[in-house]
Amino acid sequence: MSALLEVSGVSKSFDGFKAIDNLSFSIGEVELRAVIGPNGAGKTTFMDLVTGKTRPDSGTIRYGSLSRSLTGMSEAWIAQAGIGRKFQKPTVFEDQTVVENLVMALKSPRNPFSVLIRRPPQRDRAATLAEQIGLDDALDRRAGELSHGQKQWLEIGMLLAQEPRVLLIDEPAAGMTTAEREKTTQMLVDAARTRAVVVIEHDMDFVRRLNCRVTVLHEGRVLAEGSLDHVCADPRVIDVYLGRDDDV
Amino acid sequence: MILRKPSVLIFLSALALVTIVTTLMAQAGLVSTSFVKLLGKTLCLAIAALAMDLVWGFTGILSLGHFAFFGIGGYAIGMWLMWDRTENIVMPSLTGGPLPPTPFQIEEAIGTQIFGVVGSSDVPWLWSLAGSLPLQLAAAVLVPGLIALIFGWLAFRSRVTGVYLSILTQAGTLALSLWLFQNDSGLRGNNGLSGLQNIPGLRDVAQSVVSLWFLWASAIALALAYLIAAWTVSGRFGSVLRGIRDDEARVRFLGYEVEHYKLAVFTGTAMVTGLAGALYYPQAGIVNPAEIAPIASIYLAVWVAIGGRGRLYGAVIGAAVVSLASSWFTGGGAPAINLGFYVIKWTDWWLVLLGLSFVLVTLFAPKGLGGLVDLWTGRRARGIGPLGPDQGSLRGKEEVA
Repeated sequence: MSALLEVSGVSKSFDGFKAIDNLSFSIGEVELRAVIGPNGAGKTTFMDLVTGKTRPDSGTIRYGSLSRSLTGMSEAWIAQAGIGRKFQKPTVFEDQTVVENLVMALKSPRNPFSVLIRRPPQRDRAATLAEQIGLDDALDRRAGELSHGQKQWLEIGMLLAQEPRVLLIDEPAAGMTTAEREKTTQMLVDAARTRAVVVIEHDMDFVRRLNCRVTVLHEGRVLAEGSLDHVCADPRVIDVYLGRDDDV
Repeated sequence: MILRKPSVLIFLSALALVTIVTTLMAQAGLVSTSFVKLLGKTLCLAIAALAMDLVWGFTGILSLGHFAFFGIGGYAIGMWLMWDRTENIVMPSLTGGPLPPTPFQIEEAIGTQIFGVVGSSDVPWLWSLAGSLPLQLAAAVLVPGLIALIFGWLAFRSRVTGVYLSILTQAGTLALSLWLFQNDSGLRGNNGLSGLQNIPGLRDVAQSVVSLWFLWASAIALALAYLIAAWTVSGRFGSVLRGIRDDEARVRFLGYEVEHYKLAVFTGTAMVTGLAGALYYPQAGIVNPAEIAPIASIYLAVWVAIGGRGRLYGAVIGAAVVSLASSWFTGGGAPAINLGFYVIKWTDWWLVLLGLSFVLVTLFAPKGLGGLVDLWTGRRARGIGPLGPDQGSLRGKEEVA
């Protein structure tokens, strides 16, 4: 299995603080991966770097079969190339309906001219997606009216609508009930059948349920990688993370 | 498709009704020519307000320079109006001689007439196309478009947003009006262009008739602008615009080049505003640099805020109500209030009243006058409505984590 996304030797500091320190990470075409680490380990900065929100000080980020470099590309270009991102807080457009949110995300030309002129009916495509995320009875409700869990699913639905090859998901289970967590787990496992999914998570129980390879970040570096049981047994991991986090 | 929207239908019907009734009343002698002109001008201002609503209300770019595009449109059409009329005036005296006048003589005669007021008779290069109506009309659209394109490209690609962008647009507008105030700008300095109500070729037509023609032209232009605006903000394009207003970064991660959208809206609205100006100033009769001063663009924002941002009819209502009220108060229509110790003269106090209403609307009715429509249709407030059922939410817990 060749790597779809390959981050090598990337460093990034903010005002002297090394958020990411010589980090290397790669993920295959079809894979589910959890990234864990204590607060300040560089998880979110890692996502910012891959999605083009921040530029690395050094190192390379390559993507796709042609191994194109992502550093220096705009966020929009990276998203169009097939890297989708879900934020920690549910960020849906609260002022717009579920359908509007989904249609905006559907894979289709993105330049202003064709968006303005070409208007194919896309409600059916959006409705199919809404069914997958359990929002088919809320198509015309404003996203702002949805519950917290529903917003998270809508955002996952928007990600799926983009048909990305890599999904970066930041703390999907935060603030969810047990039932909602189970549903979310299933969505992510399903999504990872056809693409690469990277889940950044705080919550060990949730990671255990994902049942996938785990990468532990600490102070901007990869501390350990392997199955959850493997990394949990690693003394360094216990020392820096498990030993002092109440979530476990 | 757009025509099926109730708000569009109601708006177009109301506009048609106002235009037809005013025409009939004008022909019956019930309303004055100046009132017809006032109404025609108001419709042009409403077009500018629509453009402002697209830029600010929908896309979230608080441009404090859009009225400058309106003024540029006025200058562009005014140059042709002055040139052609002056040519008609000077020709009889030139053709009296034994030889037909040379183009140079004609140009010099026109130049002396137009620029004598700023102590010059040379025709500046800016006026080289002034003899052609189609070219000056094109300039009324393309010059604002080009300025907006260059300014927007520079500002948006550097990701200048919010108040910084507003300040930048205002500074640009101020620079433009200061330049126009200079006598050597080639546009007659603070005199501006005048006599624009005299349309060449229509000298024998009474102003009462010309004013009606312009009223109809303005009404048709507003109807078209409204349809185009409604079409623009519908569908996915509208979603993206509102998305940019609410969360620009999120739109980027959906794969949309936010800067391109902003540039498209900024430039497109500048062109529409320029065209509206080209329709307005022949009715106003005069365009001068004061029209382009930043305060005019601030008015534009005030109209949209009072009318209701993010809804097209709100912008039109705001422009119509505030500009008509302004003419009434400052034109001596409103009776002065005698408090015994002080007499409130509205010519002095109108701006205070306008400022107060702006503050009150901002504080207590952020949806503006257009928000009143929600009471009638029962539409749920966008953005500030109740959040609905919240089962399963552990928001409190998440915020702790």
